[in-house]
Amino acid sequence: MKKFLLILSVIFSCALSSQAKLNVVATLPDFGSLAREVGGDKVEVMVLAKPTEDPHFVDARPSFVVQLRTADVLIEGGAELEIGWLPPLLQNARNPKIEAGKPGRVIAAEGLRLMNVPANATRAAGDVHALGNPHFMTDPIIAKAVAQHIAQAFSAIDPANAAVYEANNKKFEATINAKLQEWGAAMLPFKGQNVVAYHDSWVYFAHRFGLNIDVFLEPKPGIPPSPSHLVEVIAQVKARKIKAIIIEPFHDRKIAEKVASATGAKVVDFAQFPGGMAGTDSYVKLMDTLVSRLAAALK
Amino acid sequence: MKKLFLMLVLGPIAIASAQDAAPAASQTRGNSTPAAATDVQELRTAVQSLTETVKALQQQVKDQQTIIEKAHLTGEEAPLPSPEIATATKAGSPPSAPVEPTPFPTADNSVVSSTQSSSPGVDANGAALPGAFPTTDASVVTSAPETMSNTGTGASLTQPITIGGGKNYMNISFDGMFALAYSSARDLNRVEVGDHDPQQRGFNARNIELAFDGAVDPYFEGFANIVFKLDNDNQTEVEVEEVFLQTTNLPFNLQLKGGQFFAAFGRINPTHPHTWDFADDPLVHGLFLGPDGLRGVGGQISWTLPTPWYSQLLLGVQNGRGSTAYSFRNPGDSGVFEGRLTTDREMRGLEDFVWIPRWENSVDLSPTQVILAGVSGAFGSNDTGTNTRTQIYGGDFLYKWKSAHAEGGFPFVKWQTEVMYRRFEAGLGMDDSFPVAETFHDWGMYSQVLWGFKKGWVAGVRGDYVDMQDSKFTDDPDRQSRSRVSADLTWYPTEFSKIRLQYNHDFIDDSFFLAGRDVDSVFLQFEFILGAHGAHKF
Repeated sequence: MKKFLLILSVIFSCALSSQAKLNVVATLPDFGSLAREVGGDKVEVMVLAKPTEDPHFVDARPSFVVQLRTADVLIEGGAELEIGWLPPLLQNARNPKIEAGKPGRVIAAEGLRLMNVPANATRAAGDVHALGNPHFMTDPIIAKAVAQHIAQAFSAIDPANAAVYEANNKKFEATINAKLQEWGAAMLPFKGQNVVAYHDSWVYFAHRFGLNIDVFLEPKPGIPPSPSHLVEVIAQVKARKIKAIIIEPFHDRKIAEKVASATGAKVVDFAQFPGGMAGTDSYVKLMDTLVSRLAAALK
Repeated sequence: MKKLFLMLVLGPIAIASAQDAAPAASQTRGNSTPAAATDVQELRTAVQSLTETVKALQQQVKDQQTIIEKAHLTGEEAPLPSPEIATATKAGSPPSAPVEPTPFPTADNSVVSSTQSSSPGVDANGAALPGAFPTTDASVVTSAPETMSNTGTGASLTQPITIGGGKNYMNISFDGMFALAYSSARDLNRVEVGDHDPQQRGFNARNIELAFDGAVDPYFEGFANIVFKLDNDNQTEVEVEEVFLQTTNLPFNLQLKGGQFFAAFGRINPTHPHTWDFADDPLVHGLFLGPDGLRGVGGQISWTLPTPWYSQLLLGVQNGRGSTAYSFRNPGDSGVFEGRLTTDREMRGLEDFVWIPRWENSVDLSPTQVILAGVSGAFGSNDTGTNTRTQIYGGDFLYKWKSAHAEGGFPFVKWQTEVMYRRFEAGLGMDDSFPVAETFHDWGMYSQVLWGFKKGWVAGVRGDYVDMQDSKFTDDPDRQSRSRVSADLTWYPTEFSKIRLQYNHDFIDDSFFLAGRDVDSVFLQFEFILGAHGAHKF
């Protein structure tokens, strides 16, 4: 009987504590990682998109509705990053807590000055984003701002644990500040070097570390590489002695390998999202991997 | 050697300024030999002094830059470890200069707006939150939050609507879909059962669509689809295909919808033709729910069940009158349907509405595989008699696999099947003018597999079958049982355009009155979309 009561109380307390946790849904794994850093054990984080898939084209699968329905907080990138799949999910989720304008809705792009805002949004230029390039999380300084944004949202919804969120945020900030010295030093010898990418999703990373990632295998954003464009890229890689071609898990590696074999440049596996490569289950580990891989390739 | 290099570099400047600075020296040259030792000596000292001046100036510039940056960073009171200042002037200094270990910058006010206190955020009640992340800062923020959320608090109708950039109260998009068709049948409009399908040999423009959507206010969202189509005589017809509003924040996971809308019956019926995977309508859909699909003015309530998997119950009710309620109170072409002169009467009671219940469920089999299954019904009266009823039951199933490394949504495999059964009481017609009353039991299905094998490329096959109960009393060609096999290949250059080639082979069975026949058809469909980026429902 005593045992039974004990088990009951354990179950009950488990149920209570799981109820007490904030239910956080992040559209993409980078926001999920930051939410875990900031929330610690006070939050339960669910991530919708897989780290290896194209963040623009995630299926709006019905199971996501189930997750959004019970969310206390939704963290999205905004700036049209998830425009192809998030709106129908939210329509179906009917969750007032995560409506636009509520503290439970964190739009990471808010409060940031985005790069590459087109003066004139024409789709003749490919899949451009009228609000600017939304692949901003590979800049650690921006990640700090987003973490702070998340901490403030958590604190607003769960004031009892506000101190915890603030402390975690400060810790994350200190980690990034320290890590930035490391990453900056590792990238310093390659300042001004050119790097080839498949898609224009590295402008913030390049800006932070003084690289020029401005040659793309895609002729225009979202347009698959054509043979004539690749000839041009190969000529540029040779002329500018570019040493590295970065490629994401969802892009066609063969195309990068073709350019690499024609020029002697190295193909470097890169991912925007924690978990997109082996051993990158957190944001800091991801950045560690990105910096060390690129530094090794540029050496 | 080093000096010589310096002289070469600074030579032109040195000579120019040496002439200004030391006119006496140039005078002493006189007739003496051009490379006198004293001249060289003077030049050397001049160059040295100049080099020093340049160095001093460089240092000054450097110091000033540091001061400016310091001012910048301290101005935003960032919570940073003390020696956070770094300069970008390294690149400008000569490679021989001693490299001091400068910390990497950990703040950047060009990408992140200033922190805290400057502009507080707001909570759910619009009250300022102390220390909230600033979401508006005119000086550094490119897009204010309200422009992204689309909720028109403080909206003014007089403001211009701009597409793109998020500064819009409604999304507008325009879709043009065309088909070039060949068929071995001259009456392609009888072979094809959907109103937006190719209807004649040659070019067809059957679906030119204007779509609007947006948040009405914090409580409702509004949607509208206006369709223009050109008939076979190139006359323009306009259809108010869908116009409805739906609630956004009812409690208990409820949602209400009202207006003109497609009934939530199966997979094909609630969707617009340009999202279909083939250039034409599946036979069973066109013949049971109608060429335009089952849609009408009405209301709908839906409830997402609090289950750990996705489960939703829907109940719609529509007037069920007219050609968009095909199997219901449909007066038919020239007042004839299923051979009967139709009654085309006013509504008598609740039984004359079409009631459309649906239950759909979805589970993820794995992170890359999803299934969705639903059952639907549509119940109402029809116009072939004074008290005749129609019941349609449907079941639908969708399986989708998508690679975990999908780019642009490819590669994927999608299998979709729908089955329908219709019980149709055909009465005695207007004023009991038809000799017999009979009840038809019809059923049909289609199944299709789509394979997105490469980014932008999709290949598909589809099989269709419809079994119509034969009747000795009506020669309606729509009562012929029939089947069809189709194959298509679609290329999406981007998500805003597509080109599709499709082949159909139709087997139309003979009936009591009509002979059977085979038909081959080929369609080349092309489509473009302008404006707002339509999201894709699952």
